[in-house]
Amino acid sequence: MDPYETENPFEEDTDRVQSEASSAYRVNLSAPSSPPSQSSRIPSSPSLGSASRPAFPSSGSHRQPQAYKSDFCCTRDQWLHSGEEVEIITDALKTSVNSSSTYITYVIKSGTAEAQHRYSEFESLRTSLARLYPTLIIPPIPSKQTIGDYAVKQAKAKEDAAMIARRKRMLQTFLNRIARHPILSNEHVFHRFLDGEVSWTEVLHSPPLSLLPTNILKAPSHNPTDQNASPGYTALPNPSATHALRRPDQRFLDSEVFTNKFAAHLSGPMEKVTRRTMKRWSDSSHDHAELGAALNGFSLNESGQLSSAIEKTGQAVDATYMSTTLLLQELEQNWAEPLHEYTQFATIIKKLLVYRHQKHVQYEMTQENLEAKREQLEELEKSEHAARRLEEALGRGRTSADSPRTEDGTPSSGDNSRADTGYLPPHPGPNPVRRRAPGMGFLSALSYTLHGMMDVDPATARRNAISKAREQISLLEDALHLSAQDLKYSSSTIQADLDRFQRQKVADIREMAISMAKSHRDWCKKNLEAWEEAKREVEKIPDHPNRMLEEIVEDSGGVANGSRESTSTIDGH
Amino acid sequence: MLGEDDDVFDSVTWESPSAPTYDAGPSAPTGPGFRQSTAESEPGHGPHDPKWEGYLITSVKDPVKELADTKDAYVSYLVSAKTNLPIFSTPNPSARRRFQDFVFLRNHLSKDFPACVVPPLPDKHRLEYVTGDRFSPEFMERRRADLHRFLQRLSRHPTLQRSTLLRAFFESTEWHVTMHQHVAHPPGPEHTTGVIDSISDTLLNAFSRVRKPDERFLAMREGVDKFEEGIVLTERLWSRIRNRTNDLTGDYHDMAVAVQGLGFLESGITDPLNHFSNTLLEFSALLRHTTQTTTDPFLIHLHSLLQYSHANRAVLKLRDQKQMDFEELSDYLSGVTSERDRLAAVISGHAGSTGLGLSSYLKDRVDALRGADDDRSRVEKMRKLDAKIKELQDAVQTAHETSDAFSDETLREQTVFQYAKEAEMKEMLGNLADGQMEFYKAAMDEWDRIIPIIQRIRVDV
Repeated sequence: MDPYETENPFEEDTDRVQSEASSAYRVNLSAPSSPPSQSSRIPSSPSLGSASRPAFPSSGSHRQPQAYKSDFCCTRDQWLHSGEEVEIITDALKTSVNSSSTYITYVIKSGTAEAQHRYSEFESLRTSLARLYPTLIIPPIPSKQTIGDYAVKQAKAKEDAAMIARRKRMLQTFLNRIARHPILSNEHVFHRFLDGEVSWTEVLHSPPLSLLPTNILKAPSHNPTDQNASPGYTALPNPSATHALRRPDQRFLDSEVFTNKFAAHLSGPMEKVTRRTMKRWSDSSHDHAELGAALNGFSLNESGQLSSAIEKTGQAVDATYMSTTLLLQELEQNWAEPLHEYTQFATIIKKLLVYRHQKHVQYEMTQENLEAKREQLEELEKSEHAARRLEEALGRGRTSADSPRTEDGTPSSGDNSRADTGYLPPHPGPNPVRRRAPGMGFLSALSYTLHGMMDVDPATARRNAISKAREQISLLEDALHLSAQDLKYSSSTIQADLDRFQRQKVADIREMAISMAKSHRDWCKKNLEAWEEAKREVEKIPDHPNRMLEEIVEDSGGVANGSRESTSTIDGH
Repeated sequence: MLGEDDDVFDSVTWESPSAPTYDAGPSAPTGPGFRQSTAESEPGHGPHDPKWEGYLITSVKDPVKELADTKDAYVSYLVSAKTNLPIFSTPNPSARRRFQDFVFLRNHLSKDFPACVVPPLPDKHRLEYVTGDRFSPEFMERRRADLHRFLQRLSRHPTLQRSTLLRAFFESTEWHVTMHQHVAHPPGPEHTTGVIDSISDTLLNAFSRVRKPDERFLAMREGVDKFEEGIVLTERLWSRIRNRTNDLTGDYHDMAVAVQGLGFLESGITDPLNHFSNTLLEFSALLRHTTQTTTDPFLIHLHSLLQYSHANRAVLKLRDQKQMDFEELSDYLSGVTSERDRLAAVISGHAGSTGLGLSSYLKDRVDALRGADDDRSRVEKMRKLDAKIKELQDAVQTAHETSDAFSDETLREQTVFQYAKEAEMKEMLGNLADGQMEFYKAAMDEWDRIIPIIQRIRVDV
């Protein structure tokens, strides 16, 4: 295990991040004797650490040219890595193809290709990718339930339309995020999804997706579909996510703590207040619409300049209604939706960290198992040795003519493993496959004792146990090696992707804040113009005859304009 | 028997609405409530156009708590004016008055000038946007503004601005004496409490509607109705927006806190996020500021204008009543007249008795049965009726004049009110627009300032 610095991995320190990323990459390549290295799904592209870009909402405006790549797997691949700006566009369509009822299908345009997929297929794509790449942050898709709390409660049909539009936007973001991911964009499954040449069910039932193991924890991290994976993987335990680590990695502990905090903050204060604010804006825009109409009606009853002044005021209110509606839309698309997406990201990262945690637990448990087995073996050998000496002593005590019987006793007692191989176990020993559960060492020891007591021939049983222990030790040694490699690989890959994610996040927060500020500014600007116009019209109303001719208007009684008290300090500024 | 036959009504002359019958000469009634001025002689002015003889700019300032530590504590306000009206002895009168004095002023002005729209005083306890007790600064400021508006309305009224009571209100150093004098000797001749009152009292409310509605006043009434409707609707919707904005104020504050929290988590961009949080906070403060300095005063003014319009409507209603007085009296008169005619016909040989219908015939029979059917008693009765008719004719004449004069006065009053309304709407909408513009400008600057700060966040390498 590389000793990681005990620092918050999400910290924005680009220099460090860079070096880390490259070290992660180095680890990736030089992973010692990684058995199935030839089929590694991760292309050895140097872009692993550096090529990350925000997909939202700048739509890849600061996209760097992808790392050079020459062996394209298909035209989609070529298009995605053409070095130009690529943008996948989706469109929602109501259809009833192959179905009795209508459903929504999303049309995906990527370059020249066009594909149609249903929401469930997006979901399936995402799950598949998550299983294919257990160490990468797979971007989220809109959750199944409508994130309707976001939207204004409107008529049912309208809400549907709004929901579809929102889904469409978020699915598009999802696809573009994958397209810009340095590793995921190379996945042929993704290319086939974009191509739309074969049905998604076919993709699901053909390699690599059909080869995915049922338990992802017992498959190589770098390529879960590897068919030639070492049998050592079967010896790996299947730990629970809450199993405590003996020697946790501080770096990932920090990551976990941070991710939890981040998720809580986003789904708590941030999303809640956003939702509330949007609800309020929507109510406010309705009120303005009503008021605008009321003022317009009001102006019809009055005459002359007063009438047009009221009318213009009403128009200013109407303008506020229009601009507020626009503000609301922009807030939803550029603030609320990304916020929600990042809440989902946080959940995904949590799962990713759990995976790594489990990998780590696997490693430690394997280590423990191995030690237990070695101790047991030592124990067995000790008693074997003692038994032999006793036998020898007994033999010496008898006549020396008896000597030929020491068939298995004479060879060097330290090198006894070969001698036992020919033996068939006289009683069914515990299946080695079942040995992975924690605490199995104790159980088998117990069963050994039981067998020993029952056995007619304790010496034979002992020898059998010794040979079994050796077998298991060699398997566990294998597994430990694999586990160590996996752990190293997942740690470094996850770390690299987290670093990439962090940069993407900063870029997105930046975009979110800018778009929020711009939306508000434009809102102010529009309303200001409308009110200025209204003011000009109001000014035209003739003054009251009761006034001083030499305009020393001394209307001192006007409303006291207290200066604005801005409480612009919450602690910490 | 009264007004059985509507046709009789036609015998009474009724001035058509378009005919300008009002004459500012000495024949016009000069009781309180009627214009004492002779301004109409000036050219360029129609008979119903009001005329201001000078300006009177008033103000209410400086509320002070008097007798602060006693249970009789009250608040006094400095009322002052600038004027060139000849009735005032100084161009800059000023005095300290308390709320009760304003109440007295209003009550007596409305009594003395029933045909004028005397602006209402603020309800004593309408304190929707204010917290605290009677002596809290918020309350005093709110009331000061209300009283200021009250005096401003009085001073804008061409008749009221020249009333002696208002002058005394600004000038008198012995206001209490003035008050007592005013109560003891109301200005102007006593109301002629003659037949009109005695009769109209009995007839009032019997018919709630004017039978011969005057088109001009119908339109006026409708205009007032629609105006009030518009005001009420605007007030309701705007106060809803006000509450919404209040909520948004809180929301943006919360969002500022949330963004700041995000800044704590994202150690790399803490600083820009803090700036952003400040902007949100500033926006929230701007929202609150605009509610306090623009929306609330606007709503208060709106409501006060509604009250003023109610007063205007009351005057319109009073005019209707005057017309009703006249109409009822005319009916009564025609009833009496026809009774006399019938009697005369009976005396002159029962000639027309059949022509007068079944009811008169029955009446005759009843009279005959009572033994009152001798000619002498009929003549006696006729003499009585003649006297009554003469009295009634006078009363009808007076009522007619009163009604007409009141109608004219009301027409002028409407014009005055239109002026006042326009001026107030101008002020109100102008202030509103100013406040909104100030808010949007400030907010725009605020958002503009944050954009480059956020843009400076370094992205990628």
